[in-house]
Amino acid sequence: MTPQWMGANKPKETPMSTHKYLCMYRGAPSQDKPSPAQMQEMFAAFNEWKKKFEATIIDMGSKLKSSGKVVTASGVTDGPFAEAKEIVAGFMILGADDYEGAVAVVKAMPGMQMPGACVEIREMASF
Amino acid sequence: MRGNPGDGLLLTDSSVPSGPAGRAAGAQDSSGPSALVEHFFRREYGRLVAILTRQVGVRHVDLVEDAVQTALMSALTAWVATGAPANADAWLYRVARNYLMGALRQDAGRLRILEAAAGELAGAADNPAFPGIDDEVGDETLRMLFICCDEAIPRDSRLVLALKTLCGFSTTEIALRLFTSEANVLKRLGRARDRLRAVSPDFDSLPLQALQPRLASVHVVLYLLFNEGYLSAHADRTVRREMCDEAIRLTTVLTEHPVGATPETFALLALMHFHGARLAGRLDGMGGLVLLEEQDRSLWDQDQVRLGAEWLQKAASGETFSRFHAEAGIAAEHAFAPSFAQTRWEEIAELYAMLDRIAPSPLNVMNRAVAIAEWQGPEAGLALLKAVAPPPWLLGYYLWDAVLGDLHRRAGHKKDARRHIERALASVPTDAERALLRRRLASLELSPSPFTRAPAPAPTSPAPASRVARGRRDR
Repeated sequence: MTPQWMGANKPKETPMSTHKYLCMYRGAPSQDKPSPAQMQEMFAAFNEWKKKFEATIIDMGSKLKSSGKVVTASGVTDGPFAEAKEIVAGFMILGADDYEGAVAVVKAMPGMQMPGACVEIREMASF
Repeated sequence: MRGNPGDGLLLTDSSVPSGPAGRAAGAQDSSGPSALVEHFFRREYGRLVAILTRQVGVRHVDLVEDAVQTALMSALTAWVATGAPANADAWLYRVARNYLMGALRQDAGRLRILEAAAGELAGAADNPAFPGIDDEVGDETLRMLFICCDEAIPRDSRLVLALKTLCGFSTTEIALRLFTSEANVLKRLGRARDRLRAVSPDFDSLPLQALQPRLASVHVVLYLLFNEGYLSAHADRTVRREMCDEAIRLTTVLTEHPVGATPETFALLALMHFHGARLAGRLDGMGGLVLLEEQDRSLWDQDQVRLGAEWLQKAASGETFSRFHAEAGIAAEHAFAPSFAQTRWEEIAELYAMLDRIAPSPLNVMNRAVAIAEWQGPEAGLALLKAVAPPPWLLGYYLWDAVLGDLHRRAGHKKDARRHIERALASVPTDAERALLRRRLASLELSPSPFTRAPAPAPTSPAPASRVARGRRDR
């Protein structure tokens, strides 16, 4: 099934970006409880950001639930097995010409002003 | 209850010109999938808390609020990616309800309660249909309002609880609006919650009509809510308007149900509309002070004045004459006066006298003195105030001294004027009012022989001669 965002946000056949970047949100989700009014502001800010960079955002990705499984040769355990601040809490995929372009999009993301916000950006190998 | 010291000559406002009205999601683009109406999250918060509290019982209101908060956060995340669904309210209801059920189940001690509630919930479990925007939802909101207005909860806590559960404000936002600390808000909220946790399950099965004895308390809380917006010294105009709108919204819901459709409620709503109509005119766009006298009356919202008049007419249908009738009558006099000079001060003075008989307060006498001073001159106003033995709290209240100072100034009693104005300056809460008082103080020095005149012989004209003299003051 085609995600709803694709119709609205995916650029139509515009392969102007040559590289794909995986952006991973790190750290436990914030314990802050924004008020409903703040949520509405955040929603507006996110939508503005999305609109501005719609040509760059290939996949808005998703948040990841906090529990998971880790599969190794020796078996399956409950994971993820990282420090709380290193846990991947979500991801998205950007298309950009270089790291600079990807970084600009992430830096402009509304959530980045939050204390402790951390996003790791890795170029996806295309071979 | 706090008086309404705002309709005399010191009707003041401090405000800053606000830019475009509050930035709401989707306000710029109301057609896109991401569009949400203004205050959507806040309104949904109140609505869902009311609906779910009705389903699981008042004593679980903490869990309900947590569940609704969590659901809104989930919505934020999900909808950023996909846009808000068309049935956003039903989406939220389903998610909030699932969180709530999870929370209730998790708490083993609450298992039995869950079972007790199972009957009611069973029907909705498979098909969690959203109750929809029908009368029922209005009822749930009203019920929540009556729950907040429990006489066993201190009045200040009732207001805070209503702001939290019904209006969806956070404790920080409430603190900002009530000019108090967040710790204080939390304390008040804690008292209210302690009481709610102790509410017997039997209470939940009572029909709304059975809560009618709380109606007077509901009126008080709605009145406070409105006044917190209207009389607020808050600099942000949208913040003030928001509080007034919330009060009007909830009072309107109250008029629509037999439990609240009384002449008092109608009069209260009339009062809010008359005041609300003048809100825009009270702002001078430069952060300065706008006296009633100096307001541009063309800015007053005539549609809202009409609404006020309609509700006041409905309020007059019975035998009742409540304090809200008196206050709405006063507000109506101001709203319908073609100008400050042509205000029917004798009517206003009489209405303040009636108000004082219903709800005695030296503030009513003070406001009456202000009206009488406009009608018969400053000495007549001062004579009335001399008969008052002000209680200690009033002596520390800047407006009392400000009024006395101005009446003395206009009567030519420079020494008394200075004494009172200086005392008012010591505790005046806003910069704008401080500026006004300083202006008045300065005018005492600038005019060694202040303009004085004999009190007008009780005029029958709607434009008393005193107005001519008043034109010279301040500027």
